[in-house]
Amino acid sequence: MATPDADKTIDLRGTRCPLNWVKTKLRLEEMQPGKVLEVVVDDGGPARNVPRSVEAEGHRVLALTNGSGGVHIFIERQ
Amino acid sequence: MEQVYFDHAATTPPRPEVIEAMLPYLRERWGNPSSLHATGVRAAEGIERAREHIAALLGAQPDEIVLTGSGTEADNHALIGVSQALRDKGDHIITSAVEHHAILHTAAFLEECGLRVTYLPVDGAGMVDPPDVRDAITDKTVLVSIMHANNEVGTIQPIAEIGAICREREVLFHTDAVQTVGHVPINLREIHVDLLSLSAHKLYGPKGVGALYIREGACVRSYMHGGGQEQGRRAGTENVAGIVGLGEAARLAREEMAWEMSHNAGLCSLLIRGVRQHVPEVTETGHPCQRLPNNASFCVAGVEGESILLNLDLEGFAVSSGSACTSGGLEPSHVLLAMGIPPEIARGSLRVSVGRDNTFEQVDRFLDVFPRVVERLRSMSPIVRAASQ
Repeated sequence: MATPDADKTIDLRGTRCPLNWVKTKLRLEEMQPGKVLEVVVDDGGPARNVPRSVEAEGHRVLALTNGSGGVHIFIERQ
Repeated sequence: MEQVYFDHAATTPPRPEVIEAMLPYLRERWGNPSSLHATGVRAAEGIERAREHIAALLGAQPDEIVLTGSGTEADNHALIGVSQALRDKGDHIITSAVEHHAILHTAAFLEECGLRVTYLPVDGAGMVDPPDVRDAITDKTVLVSIMHANNEVGTIQPIAEIGAICREREVLFHTDAVQTVGHVPINLREIHVDLLSLSAHKLYGPKGVGALYIREGACVRSYMHGGGQEQGRRAGTENVAGIVGLGEAARLAREEMAWEMSHNAGLCSLLIRGVRQHVPEVTETGHPCQRLPNNASFCVAGVEGESILLNLDLEGFAVSSGSACTSGGLEPSHVLLAMGIPPEIARGSLRVSVGRDNTFEQVDRFLDVFPRVVERLRSMSPIVRAASQ
């Protein structure tokens, strides 16, 4: 599957839960609906928790990919 | 009688917008920001928004802001944190003779721990000479800490020049900017500062909150030990409402700084001209141009500053004699003595620091009252009576 094009990227590797979700949420709030945010988080807990929180807040997780030392989450702002 | 508040360098009244922003974090969003559940996340959101506002005010990145319990804690964090992190590199710190006690007493503590501290002199205007910094740096120097503006006399130090010297010599540079953040522009993208301390209650925020800017990559050890808050840089459950208040104060300061600087400078200019005109034997202290726009400071010959302060208080004006932290003491201010002002003159020090809610009418009333207070005290002063006999 092709990786979606991101309008903005934030690197949250090394940022623990729930701070990584809080920072993701603040960036999403600044974006227009339909825009795509790419968030890079650590594998493990962050890679599980952040997508869950994103969906609970009503946004769409378009893709999850592994690479460059972390997990890339592509989120469409709703 | 209405009390006119002319002591904004000691503390500022929290703005109504700041209090409004804080209230939800006391009433509904009271969660622990470290908690993983939604109650905690709501509190953490407030902190992260505040961090972004503080960073924007300084021209910094949000992750470079470490929230603390006060400006004093931020100063302690900078000095102790750097000296511990770099103790294999060296054991020497440089500061100035006119710093706030948050720096001077911390430096004295570090001397007790075996570090060497150089206290740079200042000129008659309270200014550090940047070449003195260059000359004092040795291969054992780990930190230079020079305040941005002095809390007593308002002199603004040449921190851009000092920062450039520190960068060239590869020594970390800290500035105590408690008096300047929110009052004069600071852009950390343009000047070289590695660490900067600020305090919320000096910019119309609440007490009990401060911050330390730590440039990304700067080597600083954690000062508080415990939980992993502030990405492991400052342990202790955050004062969420207070931090939100600081964030709102920073946001407002960024929006309104130009107006406030102009307003305060106008008030101080009127006040200084009036004092020159109506009160004889008054020495203006601090730098004539490189100074805080909200600070007017004087030494009044023949009277003690504390006596003027108390008499002005009875007349409805809140001012300060020297540093508010030491106004209970009779010792002349260390700042004025370092500037070469004789102790007998320094004892007559007075600081008037204005703010956004002050008016020109209040300054006019002060100029009506102040000369009478000085005249009355001089007529009772044994020093003046002895001189006139």
